[in-house]
Amino acid sequence: MATRVETETTVGQILPSLAKDVSQRRIDVYSGVKPRSIHSDEAWAHQKGFRACLAQGMMSTAYVSQMMVNLLGPGFARGGTMSMAFIKPVYAGDRLSVHGIIKDKQPDNGATRVVVEVWVENQHGEKTAVGHATGLVA
Amino acid sequence: MAGSQVTEFRKLTLDSLKVGEEFVSDDHLVIPEDIEAHGFAVEDDHPWLAEQTAPPTLMANQALHLRHSKYIVHAGLHARMEFNFLEPIRLGMRVRTRGKVIDKFERRGKPYMVTEYVTEDETGRVLVRGQFTQMIIPEPEAPHGHAR
Repeated sequence: MATRVETETTVGQILPSLAKDVSQRRIDVYSGVKPRSIHSDEAWAHQKGFRACLAQGMMSTAYVSQMMVNLLGPGFARGGTMSMAFIKPVYAGDRLSVHGIIKDKQPDNGATRVVVEVWVENQHGEKTAVGHATGLVA
Repeated sequence: MAGSQVTEFRKLTLDSLKVGEEFVSDDHLVIPEDIEAHGFAVEDDHPWLAEQTAPPTLMANQALHLRHSKYIVHAGLHARMEFNFLEPIRLGMRVRTRGKVIDKFERRGKPYMVTEYVTEDETGRVLVRGQFTQMIIPEPEAPHGHAR
């Protein structure tokens, strides 16, 4: 699928959500397979009090990055920002949805900075990560 | 002949962690397999390779792993992450990340550390700047004074 670069942005605009299946295989590729890792060693994850292996919070930042690149293209890769808090664990086998809504547009050195509230939800409708991302449009 | 430098690793705890401590990663050549693996892992089908560019967050783990270069990390959880994407990371670049511990604290009985970092190319040009907060899960003390 080619990336859609949408430069027409409106405050209140809801971005197309992304769906992500967080399989153990994908976690393994992202984090590497290591013993005594809460990401890839299920027995170790249990020992640390988790019901299954955890996805790295950083995977959620990659999902938000993808959503912002879909919206702004190069205006996110050069001049973009992201601030995320990871508020609930994401487990292997979870199905996530990634959401964004444009909250503001601000002048920024002759361009416009688009401010997006972003969040990630699991299959139970619980937010797992929340924050803001911004990027530039001409 | 001078001997080679050997890193002495310490167990990561709130007490052993030094605010102001600096880290630097090894250099990493951004190769097509990095981008393909990242794309698979996070289901990102953007044509990064065709554009000779990397996803903006590609090197985030280089930053997160900085503390492993000086500490034995029993386990940890990622609490917050901030990025400023200044320049795109490109295929074929050799990149490294430098970081510095800027804070440590306890919240609700859990220890945390805060690290600021820059990822730069081999000329020193900053590509990504940011900050992250990680919870430290220290190794439990075993009975009779044994580590485990």
